[in-house]
Amino acid sequence: MNIIINSSSMVPIYEQIVESVKKSIASGELKPEEALPSVRGLARELKISALTVKKAYDQLEEEGFTVTVHGKGTFVLSINNELVREEQMKELESDMQVIVDKARRYDISMDELKDLFRLVAED
Amino acid sequence: MLKINGLKKSYGDFHLDVSMEVPAGMVVGLVGSNGAGKSTTIKSVLQLIRPDAGSILFCGNECGAGGSLLTKSEKEMMGVVLSDSGFSAYLTPSDVKSICAAMYSKFDKNKFTALCRDLEIPERKQIRTFSTGMKAKLKVAAALCHDARFLIMDEPTSGLDVIVRDHVLDLLRAYMEEKEDRSILISSHISSDLESICDTLYMIKKGRIVFHEDTDILLSRYGILKCSEDQYNEIDRQYICRRIKESFGYTCLTTEKHFYMENYPKLVIENSGIDDLILLMEKGENVS
Repeated sequence: MNIIINSSSMVPIYEQIVESVKKSIASGELKPEEALPSVRGLARELKISALTVKKAYDQLEEEGFTVTVHGKGTFVLSINNELVREEQMKELESDMQVIVDKARRYDISMDELKDLFRLVAED
Repeated sequence: MLKINGLKKSYGDFHLDVSMEVPAGMVVGLVGSNGAGKSTTIKSVLQLIRPDAGSILFCGNECGAGGSLLTKSEKEMMGVVLSDSGFSAYLTPSDVKSICAAMYSKFDKNKFTALCRDLEIPERKQIRTFSTGMKAKLKVAAALCHDARFLIMDEPTSGLDVIVRDHVLDLLRAYMEEKEDRSILISSHISSDLESICDTLYMIKKGRIVFHEDTDILLSRYGILKCSEDQYNEIDRQYICRRIKESFGYTCLTTEKHFYMENYPKLVIENSGIDDLILLMEKGENVS
């Protein structure tokens, strides 16, 4: 699994790791029951603090993607693809809510917003 | 692993007063400008100087002002690199190997030889012919070879070029990866070193700890705001902790950059590194 960290991005590093791992799981690159690299190992590879990696692994566990067995490591759980899809849709929905709220605040009509969406989507 | 409580030491008008902790399994960084007290703290832990007061607990044993001297086995648990000392210039790394092997019961000669080869240190040349970088590498190599549980490193990377620094830091990362209960206390001037290896940071200023934060929080939540005077007066300043007056207005240190990103999209917000932090903590005005 390759994780590329953008250290000048405003997205916190642990979130970048979480996203990378989720992508690898979704694409099937990381298979169920496969072990993730050890916390210190990944910290060394990415040249970041071990606490950052730990935070990312904790979040993955909390969201149900992995399980950590004390003293053994962190493993990918076999996940229900429909559940993942649902999660992703929910995430998009809340992102869109932010955009719609913003548009209302700036007094931009829904038609204008749709045009804008089409424009961006075509790029 | 190491717990320092109210450590005090005075030199004339310099007063050190430090409390800090190095938990097992953590890399703790000590930053601060020259003369802030970093080396004094480290020397107190090593009992190279006698503190005036305070307690130092190393693996549960008191070895501070009123405590006992470090025992041989406690000393064997530490690996030490000091900034302004080294091995005699007339020795060769091969001699250093024999001396260390006689001093430390767990010294691994093969590992030392392998490290020397890896770091391109010639084993049979006198140290006086070495460059600054080679001497520094030798010190680190010697500290890593006796299976220490705790490394104390006072500026191990000073005077090294980027490539060698990266190599030394990678050795330290590998050291941490080998066993879970190991710890490192490291001081450095080079902030990128600390950002990439430390789990938590203490900043020391004029003998006092002025700041303590996990590197993770520091890099993900702290940020630099650049704003004009008008903008500065308008914004909610509850998460701003330091400011410096600039020609364009203010440079501010915030502990919650995402708050400002969401609420004030027009502000210029940058990620803050440890350099910015030191500068703002040293020179900035306190806002609160």
